[in-house]
Amino acid sequence: MSYKTKTVLRKSAVHALLWIIVAFCLFPVLWMSIISFKEVGESITGFNALRIQNPTLANYKRLFELIPIWTNLVNSAFTSIVGTVTTLFFCSLAGYAFAKFKFPGRNALFYFVIATMMISAEAGAVPLFVIMRRVGLVNSLWSLIIPRMATAIGIFYLRQYMLDVPDAILDSARIDGCGEFGIYRKVVLPIVKPALASWASITIIARWNDYFWPLLYLRDSSKYTLMVSVSMLPVSDGLSTPWQVVLSGTTLVIVPSIILYLIMQTYQKSGQVAGAVKG
Amino acid sequence: MWQTLKRHRYPYLFISPYLILFLVFQLVPTIATVYYSFTEWNGLRAPRWIGWRNYQLMMNDYMFSDAIRNTFRYWIVGAIGIMGLSLLIAMLLNSKVLRAKQFFRTATFLPYVCASVAMGLIFRMLFEEHAGLINEILLSLGGSRIPWLTSSAYAWIPVVILFVWRLTPWFTMIIFSGLLNISDEYYEAATVDGASGWQQFVRITLPLLNHILFFCFVTITVDAWRLFNESHILSGPGTSNTSLFELMYTSAFKNFKLGYGSALGVVLILILLGISLVQFMVRRRTGEI
Repeated sequence: MSYKTKTVLRKSAVHALLWIIVAFCLFPVLWMSIISFKEVGESITGFNALRIQNPTLANYKRLFELIPIWTNLVNSAFTSIVGTVTTLFFCSLAGYAFAKFKFPGRNALFYFVIATMMISAEAGAVPLFVIMRRVGLVNSLWSLIIPRMATAIGIFYLRQYMLDVPDAILDSARIDGCGEFGIYRKVVLPIVKPALASWASITIIARWNDYFWPLLYLRDSSKYTLMVSVSMLPVSDGLSTPWQVVLSGTTLVIVPSIILYLIMQTYQKSGQVAGAVKG
Repeated sequence: MWQTLKRHRYPYLFISPYLILFLVFQLVPTIATVYYSFTEWNGLRAPRWIGWRNYQLMMNDYMFSDAIRNTFRYWIVGAIGIMGLSLLIAMLLNSKVLRAKQFFRTATFLPYVCASVAMGLIFRMLFEEHAGLINEILLSLGGSRIPWLTSSAYAWIPVVILFVWRLTPWFTMIIFSGLLNISDEYYEAATVDGASGWQQFVRITLPLLNHILFFCFVTITVDAWRLFNESHILSGPGTSNTSLFELMYTSAFKNFKLGYGSALGVVLILILLGISLVQFMVRRRTGEI
């Protein structure tokens, strides 16, 4: 085989494999959106699912009757956005302190942050619920925001970027009489903007998709996030809700996160997200 | 002491929110979990101290051994599946002959964006015994229907497939950025020396991805032990595919055995603590921190 045929073969193999993988990635989502527009009477067995005769919005209408969609949507958006903004603020503040200040106990504290990075709060769910009840946050959206306002992993990730901020800039800002918080806000934050953006996109999607904590803390349907309401769809309409309706619910959950991801994708440069992991 | 605090007040101030939140929402709950694990408690009356009873119960509880077995399966099959697939996809994405790179990168990342709860509902229907697409495909290939979610033998499979499907893109991205950092010169030199593609993969790519692959393995391990959404939504009969974490949730918040649930929480904490220590020591030894 000549070098040229080899390259052509290789090129087609790479593309073919990737197309197969893309098909596996996209298929469940496409399948779901197609079925959500099918009439309840139509067959959705096996391959029939993919043929639509009369596209309809009836499933979505039914969905809006079954669960308080707008309220749940606002709840989800509120916790995702406020949760992301607060966690970005506190994590970057702590990350800045670890990266650019020398103070007694810094290394010990930083080791502590790393050592706790992998431990998840979920294991302590029983006492956490008790604490939340004591401070009156059960059934409040703040129960989803406050405990995660500063996380070890966020601090670790943002600190790695703060390390690259040149000390000279910080020192000259100090000489110009800028306060420490002012330096953080006006000098450091603008420099690490790309890192903040990529951390924000990961966090906001994770919060939108959050399920365990809202399931644990939120007690009535007017407080539910979209994720909790949708998860209860299969049993909410008497014994069973038609698949078409359930799938219109999952479509409403998934489509916003895909759109959000595509928007943020256009703002991001490659390879940033995983930058905290050194090779 | 006061002087030091005052002189370094800014960094301490900047870190204090994390320390306070950690204290209230992680350290105290963790210690309290250990305490509650030695009690019998239904959430209404005061907890009653019963010593090691919960742990003794656990040893004879088939639901606990089921949950451990299932979580082990999710961990091992998940780690192999996710690492294998993400390494493959990352290498394809990094291939020099690939066109439309950005499109493929975006498309292969999408599963990670989709909520596991919503995907769980979708998988429920895809794996349905009589109307699901998966069985329909099996039939048309000459196989027979498999009772995926209605038999104890198969119920763990859809869960692990969903776990792998949703997490692979994340690790693909991490490994891909690792591949970007490997200089082309290594491969060029190896090609000149006549090394085959496979040899280059084993001798250059894998050793240079060492740290990253280790990091991926640790993260997958943690994700597998705290798996909840997938098995909760795709639940099979009884505890046939219940994860350890889900069993904790059910015991504590559905059956109101808060003491027993806490004991399961302690087991989880010990496992996560062990993983955390291992990764910490490895990171220290390799000079990463």
